[in-house]
Amino acid sequence: MIRLRDVTYFYPRATTPALADVTLEIPAGQFCAVIGANGAGKSTLCYTLAGFVPHFYRGKLSGGVEVAGVDVPASSLAKLAGHVGLVFANPFNQITGARFSVREEIAFGLENMGVPLDEMEARVEDILGFAGLRDLAERSPFALSGGQQQRLAIASVLVMRPPVIVLDEPTSQLDPIGSKEVFAVLRDLAATDAATVVLAEQKLEWVAVFADRVLVLHEGRIVADGLPGDVLASADLTQYGLQPTRYTQVARAAQAAGFRADRHDLPVTLEEAVEFFR
Amino acid sequence: MSTSFSLYIPRESGMHRLHPLTKLALVAFCLVLGLFLPGVWLTYLVFLLIIVPLAAWAGVLPPFLRAAFKTALPVVISVFLVQGLFWPGGTPILHLGPLSLKQEGLQFAIRSAGRFITVVSSFLLLTFTTRPDGLMLALSQRGFPNSIAYIMLATMQIVPRFQAKANTILDAQRSRGLETEGNLLVRLRALLPLVQPLLLGSIVDIEERAIALEVRAFGRQGPKTSLLVLRDTPAQRVLRWLLLLGMLAVIGWRLYLAIAPRLAA
Amino acid sequence: MKDDGQRPTEARAPMPIVVEDVSFTYPSGTHALRGVSLRVSPGEAVAIVGENGAGKTTLVKHLNGLLKPGTGRVTIGDWDTREHTVAKMAARVGYVFQNPDDQIVERTVGDEVAFGPRRLGQPAAEQQANVAAALATVGLTEAAKTHPYDLTAPQRKLVTLASVLAMRTPIVIFDEPTMGQDARGVALIGDIVDRLKAEGRTVLTITHDIDFCAAHFGRAIVMADGQVLADGPAADVLTRADVLATTNVEPPQLVRLAQALRLKRAPLTVEEFVAEVVGSE
Repeated sequence: MIRLRDVTYFYPRATTPALADVTLEIPAGQFCAVIGANGAGKSTLCYTLAGFVPHFYRGKLSGGVEVAGVDVPASSLAKLAGHVGLVFANPFNQITGARFSVREEIAFGLENMGVPLDEMEARVEDILGFAGLRDLAERSPFALSGGQQQRLAIASVLVMRPPVIVLDEPTSQLDPIGSKEVFAVLRDLAATDAATVVLAEQKLEWVAVFADRVLVLHEGRIVADGLPGDVLASADLTQYGLQPTRYTQVARAAQAAGFRADRHDLPVTLEEAVEFFR
Repeated sequence: MSTSFSLYIPRESGMHRLHPLTKLALVAFCLVLGLFLPGVWLTYLVFLLIIVPLAAWAGVLPPFLRAAFKTALPVVISVFLVQGLFWPGGTPILHLGPLSLKQEGLQFAIRSAGRFITVVSSFLLLTFTTRPDGLMLALSQRGFPNSIAYIMLATMQIVPRFQAKANTILDAQRSRGLETEGNLLVRLRALLPLVQPLLLGSIVDIEERAIALEVRAFGRQGPKTSLLVLRDTPAQRVLRWLLLLGMLAVIGWRLYLAIAPRLAA
Repeated sequence: MKDDGQRPTEARAPMPIVVEDVSFTYPSGTHALRGVSLRVSPGEAVAIVGENGAGKTTLVKHLNGLLKPGTGRVTIGDWDTREHTVAKMAARVGYVFQNPDDQIVERTVGDEVAFGPRRLGQPAAEQQANVAAALATVGLTEAAKTHPYDLTAPQRKLVTLASVLAMRTPIVIFDEPTMGQDARGVALIGDIVDRLKAEGRTVLTITHDIDFCAAHFGRAIVMADGQVLADGPAADVLTRADVLATTNVEPPQLVRLAQALRLKRAPLTVEEFVAEVVGSE
């Protein structure tokens, strides 16, 4: 559960805000995607939810940030750990370096939380299978490929079972089907474990299929917020530096050429596009 | 490509199974013996009668001897040359043209070489038979700061990554026409452009890794647990106390030897 | 060395790439390439797709000699990569690395882009013109005096693109050029690829972005497990869902839509698709 109220944030020495008047509520169990051009504030929003704004980056934050029942600005990073999980784009930098195998790397967070040994072993085994890393469990984390490291980074955070999970372009190094699988996993986490999932992403096709809700950021402000079908088909998308999925693009072009001119709702997913053109 | 700086050699030996603190105590004991025993030859006995048998017990004798030899040889040779031949004054025992070998210099060289060999081989024995994370865990459990333990472990793995990154940066420059194959000057000049991206890149890396550590509750206060379980036994605890007492005894004896003549006078 | 005095004309010389039965094993024992053969004619635009670890980067590192074939042979024009240093090969093959932070070494964007042209010995006037043109192409003319690290990571990637474009090599290789770029960045890089094609230069790219591949590359190579699974016109290769699936890739969105609608042809661009659907009404 996430609650932001009138959040405005300036990085140190910045003259324009990275986030401006952001008010937002995301209930538990929702999978919310955040999209926007580079520099629109997606990463800053992720860092704010995880407490690194302001506790790590300093700068000037105003407004209220409440995540998983914790008042973020009034708390500390140490207190937030375990409540919010954060995964970011470069998997190599998320490897602690203090552990010599994939299995131990995954356990690192649980060790710091003081999780008892038998529970820790069970949870690590569980997540190894879930992330498809069981065959690599004894390898050095540094001996994995970029894609495998990315799955390791995600697994290392998920194993801590934070009620709120924030991911900043976590699929950048994954091959196409690997990316789709991550989206499916996140949707399931939200749906079955009632986790709150916030995902900043560029891959709109999978946002359209898997997310419950889409936020569009532009110059630090939320400029659109709604169901994927409505937000991603909106004609405004391009003016925020985003490109709709090919499904929406062909449907719009076909409409301009006189095809199905009566339809107001344009498709955003493959399924909807099939229905539109059939 | 090696992924870690650690010299640890995994084996199923009794030495490997010892608690890391027991191994640490053994090594400290050898160090104290080597550094504080009087005379010229006793330190060699420490090496031959304690360190080498332990390495054999651990099943790492050949690589251990190779590494000890490689590390110690250059130092030992230079100590003999410098101290043996250039000792000021002293009793010459052998004339080599304009130079002469001095007895005092030779004795000093033998003693220094013995000490050096003992120190090097003790550390090698420890690193060959002890998982670095096990040692750090054992130390942390006894109040050693977690952050220092982390830095020591991470350095072992990140230094080789640093080398790999340096190679990638060099590859990227060669791909843009930077000549790196040739004489020493060419190669040195090729290395210069590496410095900036390595440093700037690692600043970004360090910032992100700090964030990743916080996410994994590294800064959290309170009791921690560990996936790695260290086994300790009452016998080992007794052994560690005995080794500690032994070390104190040797140091005390040595102090006594140093002070006694003056007391008598 | 046969290259002396040839450099200024390299950009105009036709440079076919020939890879003959190349196998390569890393010192760790990983068999990264197993008997790869292919030929790329001057002016072709080729995208290499496949899952992580398929051998894509290992293959392109053979094209400028960063890796030398274990067995087999790689030639660029009349040069065998084993007989020339990487720095020499750079006159013919420009290579943009995946991570911009592995490439940038100078203190200003302008110097960074001039790095390659200087090393290649381009005459001063030509150098200036090439640097200015490359900066304009990526939209960073204004940033010429800026320190590269004062730019964002996606902008730094564009700097590395410009730094290779300015070398005016007949062959240009990109490793994941669209990674981390937003829609505008992807469109810009697509334009760059189109422009290189128009100039008759050969473009090779490694990419996970299959829709980018469909929109700008005439030929696609699918790799898995160190081998070439499929190689041919993108319009054919990218429709073979079964082949792509074995290496964790799905056909482009438009191809999947065309297949779901059982269209006779699978168009790769929005225009073609609309013509196909609206035309057939």
